[in-house]
Amino acid sequence: MGTPDCVISADRLTKFYGHDRGIEDLTFSVGAGEVFGFLGPNGAGKTTTIRTMLDFIRPTSGAVRLFGLDAHHRGPEIHARVGYLPGELSLYERLTGERYLRDFAAFRGGVDFAYAQDLAVRLGLDLAKRIKDLSHGNKQKVGLVQAFMHRPDLLIMDEPTQGLDPLVQQTFYGILDEERERGTTVFLSSHVMPEVERVCDRVGIIREGRLATVSDIGDLKARVRRRIELHFDGPAPRAAFEGLSGVRDVRTHGDELSLAIEGSVDPVIKEAARHTVVNVETHEPSLEDLFLAYFGPNGEAPHDRGDAP
Amino acid sequence: MSGLFTKTLRDQRRALIGWGIGLAAVAAMYAAFYPSIKDSASDFDTYLQNLPDAIRNIIGGDFTTPAGYLRSETFSSLGPILFLVFAVGAGARAIAGEEEDGTLDLLLSTPIRRRQLLIDKIGAMVVTATALAAVLFVTLWIVGPPFDLTVPAIDLGAACLMLLLVGLAFGAIALAIGCATGHRGLALGVTGAYAVFSFVINALAPSVDALGWLRPLSPFRWYLDPDPLVSGIAWANVLVLLGIAAAGYVVAWLTFDRRDLAA
Repeated sequence: MGTPDCVISADRLTKFYGHDRGIEDLTFSVGAGEVFGFLGPNGAGKTTTIRTMLDFIRPTSGAVRLFGLDAHHRGPEIHARVGYLPGELSLYERLTGERYLRDFAAFRGGVDFAYAQDLAVRLGLDLAKRIKDLSHGNKQKVGLVQAFMHRPDLLIMDEPTQGLDPLVQQTFYGILDEERERGTTVFLSSHVMPEVERVCDRVGIIREGRLATVSDIGDLKARVRRRIELHFDGPAPRAAFEGLSGVRDVRTHGDELSLAIEGSVDPVIKEAARHTVVNVETHEPSLEDLFLAYFGPNGEAPHDRGDAP
Repeated sequence: MSGLFTKTLRDQRRALIGWGIGLAAVAAMYAAFYPSIKDSASDFDTYLQNLPDAIRNIIGGDFTTPAGYLRSETFSSLGPILFLVFAVGAGARAIAGEEEDGTLDLLLSTPIRRRQLLIDKIGAMVVTATALAAVLFVTLWIVGPPFDLTVPAIDLGAACLMLLLVGLAFGAIALAIGCATGHRGLALGVTGAYAVFSFVINALAPSVDALGWLRPLSPFRWYLDPDPLVSGIAWANVLVLLGIAAAGYVVAWLTFDRRDLAA
């Protein structure tokens, strides 16, 4: 582990809280410029992993290195190059957004505050308001500006889009894309598939404190099943869809047809185009669908239910 | 000191102004009562002579002289109470308060070391407490003479310094408990209980032989004995109180630097 262009490397990282498992035996690495998704249900150990990387908590055994430096012994050097967004954001409620950000810019030193103001404008954040008067989504924006403003080499974000409305999410993804083009490495945790699909190159799936698998986003998309519902102007042509490649579990109900598909949806779209389709609905795969795809109905690890939709 | 020191002071400036005004008002009020108390002092002293030693130790002895009056009314009762409430609150809040509020994570995600954070917080505690002691000194120095409440500035300064040090000592204890446990309420509760214990032990010990051995454990033992308003600064007492504060800061550093922070 720990090649020069390896920005994060965890080596058998383990954290127990007394007898309670936090994370166990995590080994993975994230290369420079990579956008790495850390996917798992709440309580799986995502936040524990992140807080260990930032030296808020110390591993029971194993170690994690950032930029080749030990997370515990070289904290300040590492932190100077990291932008962090916590999962549960707590800000100084009595300060204005501007005061808060200027303070954090001062703690870091060398921040171009014009860029922070630019980010605030793009996110639609009023910096003059006191933080206590901001909505949850707007507080989250203060957290985002704080994480981005010093142009860090590594972004560590714990569930970054929680509480953001969909429009702001798109702005956030846009900023993230710019960062990716700049070569910034991103470590992003999430418990929702679509977010990870949208932004990540590679995904680690964490389950009950253990890293279940690490795979390319392409592989993930190919393996996961998503459900499509088609509404025709007449009786659903069930037989036409049953034989298509990747299609499973076709069900019909009057004019409506529902099917599950693994991999590309192209064959289904082509076949549907031969009929008159009144309406199409697709359902984003949930974490449970994903676990099903990777571990089967009797996945080797005992099931814990994610809270994904 | 870093930007965090400045930020901590700035965040506290309103509270500090409030405390300063309150402290000055109380001190001025007590000074204004001095003439009438002095006039009826002989009655008062007769009354005091009839009380048990222990109670007299708490109230304080002599109201007839400016030094005795200041000792009893300002430096034995309301002074330490106000100072301790301020200092213990600040000590408990400095680290444990931020941790419980959840604001500590983001502070420490910047290049600020835990040690630096602690130094800045201690610096802010010392500066604010010193400012309050200075307010008390200036108030009594200005307001005292018109009411015949005149003591040498050097002795008044000595008493304010001792009050500051006893506040810093208890503040450091609260800081240490907060740093070790991350629980603000625990730091407040334990330090508050210890302060009450210390106050009572210090008052009772001179007249209850069985408690004598406990008295050195009370920071108040090292506060007004010998009386700074009469004999100026007792350097041994200064060292003991500074030692307690320093020990608290060291414990705070050792425990906070090693511990997992609460999520």
